[in-house]
Amino acid sequence: MLIISLIFAIGLFTTIGTAKVSVLDIFKIIGSKVSFMEKYIDISDIADSSKTIIWNIRLPRVLLGALVGASLSMAGASFQGMFKNPMADPYVIGISSGAALGATLAIVFKLNIGIFNIPTITIFAFVGALLAVSLVYNIARIKNKVPVTTLLLAGVAVGQFLTAIMSFLMVIFDKDMVKITYWTLGSLSGKGWEPVLTIALPVIICMIVINFFARDLNILLTGEESAQSLGIDVEKTKTYILLLGTFITAISVSVSGIIGFVGLIIPHIVRLLIGPDHRILLPASALLGSIFMIFADTIARTLISPIEIPVGIITALFGGPFFIYLLRSKKKSI
Amino acid sequence: MNAIDVNNLEFGYKDNLVIKDISFSIKAGSFVSILGPNGSGKSTLLKTLNNLYNPNNGSIQLYGKDILSYKKRELAKKIALVPQDTNIEYEFTVEDIVMMGRHPYKNRFENENEIDHKIVNESLELTYTLNLKDRIINQISGGERQRAIIAKALAQKPAIILLDEPTSNLDINHQMDILNLLKKLNHENGLTVVLVIHDINLACRYSDEIILLHKGKILGIGAPEEVITVENMEDAYDMKVALEKNKYTDTIHLTPIEIKEKNKNFKNNKVHIICGGGSGQEIINKLYSEGFELSLGVLNIGDSDWEHGRNLNIPMVEEIPFSGISNQSYQENVEVMNKSDIIVISNVPIGSGNLKNLLGAKDALEKGKKVYYIAENSQEYDYTEGEAKKIIEEMLKKGMQSVRSVDELL
Repeated sequence: MLIISLIFAIGLFTTIGTAKVSVLDIFKIIGSKVSFMEKYIDISDIADSSKTIIWNIRLPRVLLGALVGASLSMAGASFQGMFKNPMADPYVIGISSGAALGATLAIVFKLNIGIFNIPTITIFAFVGALLAVSLVYNIARIKNKVPVTTLLLAGVAVGQFLTAIMSFLMVIFDKDMVKITYWTLGSLSGKGWEPVLTIALPVIICMIVINFFARDLNILLTGEESAQSLGIDVEKTKTYILLLGTFITAISVSVSGIIGFVGLIIPHIVRLLIGPDHRILLPASALLGSIFMIFADTIARTLISPIEIPVGIITALFGGPFFIYLLRSKKKSI
Repeated sequence: MNAIDVNNLEFGYKDNLVIKDISFSIKAGSFVSILGPNGSGKSTLLKTLNNLYNPNNGSIQLYGKDILSYKKRELAKKIALVPQDTNIEYEFTVEDIVMMGRHPYKNRFENENEIDHKIVNESLELTYTLNLKDRIINQISGGERQRAIIAKALAQKPAIILLDEPTSNLDINHQMDILNLLKKLNHENGLTVVLVIHDINLACRYSDEIILLHKGKILGIGAPEEVITVENMEDAYDMKVALEKNKYTDTIHLTPIEIKEKNKNFKNNKVHIICGGGSGQEIINKLYSEGFELSLGVLNIGDSDWEHGRNLNIPMVEEIPFSGISNQSYQENVEVMNKSDIIVISNVPIGSGNLKNLLGAKDALEKGKKVYYIAENSQEYDYTEGEAKKIIEEMLKKGMQSVRSVDELL
């Protein structure tokens, strides 16, 4: 059902925008691009400008939003399970501050090292995120074990430290401050097909792999010792989940900036609605995350059109109160 | 056949060994309790048995095969653990939780099938939790949850089940309920049960064998009567305890009397008590808990004070039942009194049979020992037509002190 809603949402939110195009036309335009359907769909009555807007601007943007929303939500869901901590989100172990510092460095020093047409900021953010997480991981590691509390605390400490460096750079290079702030608030605008095509395959593969750890995550919720006595290699499993979650989050952050709140609240909302079983929780979080993200992005680009609001503001603005409402009405502890 | 063989096991950190060179075996199909004071290494030992901790030294064998040679999943099919903390904060149903016990039998890409559901249902039935299967695990009572977690362990189809204080948060009804369940699984399904427990009386009642740990070493291992002795309890728990056979369950019953540590300074005073017929119980109890080193005599075997002294493991000069004090035991008693610092005489009724006790005390008084007479109430004690009264009055003149009660004596 969520899959159908997602497809519908993609269509619906693609239509909404400054330029009006009907839903039917959108499916026609998309359909016409699929080779075997080409000859059955007549798009000659649709204006060329609409075709361009839909195909070259809105559709890739919506798809990117869907991918980013899905990755953040799934990473959040698996981190919350692994850490057994409701406050965990995809950024909790330093990804966001690492990425932000990386992006800041690229911006303030006007670096340009294009690899495969990928923007330098993206590359720096990605590398920054991975470096930050590996730093946190190594700080928290005691022999071959990584206690989750230490990991969380190390994440907070490293995060604060990196953010301080970033703030320092922002003060020194104050003319870049707006650009950096905009980047950290997250946005999906003006990316085209390039990032969608680059990230789609790795992100989707990682998400499928995370799903194979669903049962392990369930058992981890009952305690690490229980999990170990059921034959789970707890430390290895934690490392795999950490790697996969970090990877998809870092990819998302590097293309879209730090879009907050999605990875924290979507898993909670899904958990409140369908329970803690990760076999359903993980895919459902991904789908709901996608829908929520493209919904928030649609508002971001249309609310005070033609000015764009960073989508991170919208996710927090809508997500926060809705989550509080759910929390109060369900009266369950999370 | 042995289910578990532990050889020279050592675990801990450099200067803080939790388990020190332990060796023992557990027979397949037995019910074993691990006892010991806090910090003696019970839980740690249990967890090393499940390979949760890697020992520094030594080895553990399961059914003759080294535990390290088992793959994690294979081990989980042989041995299941019920941890001390069974609290699960997430809203899984009981059935979900029990199904987790099937994990060792499933590879990553496999879903649960008919067989798994059948085994889960059987486990729920065995633990009387079938009716709870759709309930949320954190919304059932502690006893029910404990049974559900045991059901999860059973779904692993193990040969050995390890339990870490399975009764610690339960009321007496549910404590027995869980232990009865384990006993049933032990008897009917041949499950080897190894549990860590604090309640010594319950452990004695249910276990075939007891392993008593103290400071990371085995203080005693064997049948409850062999291990639960006054000396062992004193060494392990620093407690003075009384042991007796419980007349309802016919198993050892322990009553804690007093913590030993506190009363170190009293240890040097040896007190000999002359009593009988229950007249000495209060004196014995109070002096014992104050930490005095006691001796009793002469007492007839079977006398209620004799039984009391035996339960507390107090040295006594004994006489065969229902007979007067023989010269031999009189002499023995005099010798014991010679070694004592203080002699206390209860207001035991004195007849011809035990008059020699009084004579012995008089002898001691004359040798310069302190003698106290407890004239609790002016109850008639003399059944010797004045002879006993005469001796007592004579002793009072010679310096024996008369006190009203034990408290006054103290």
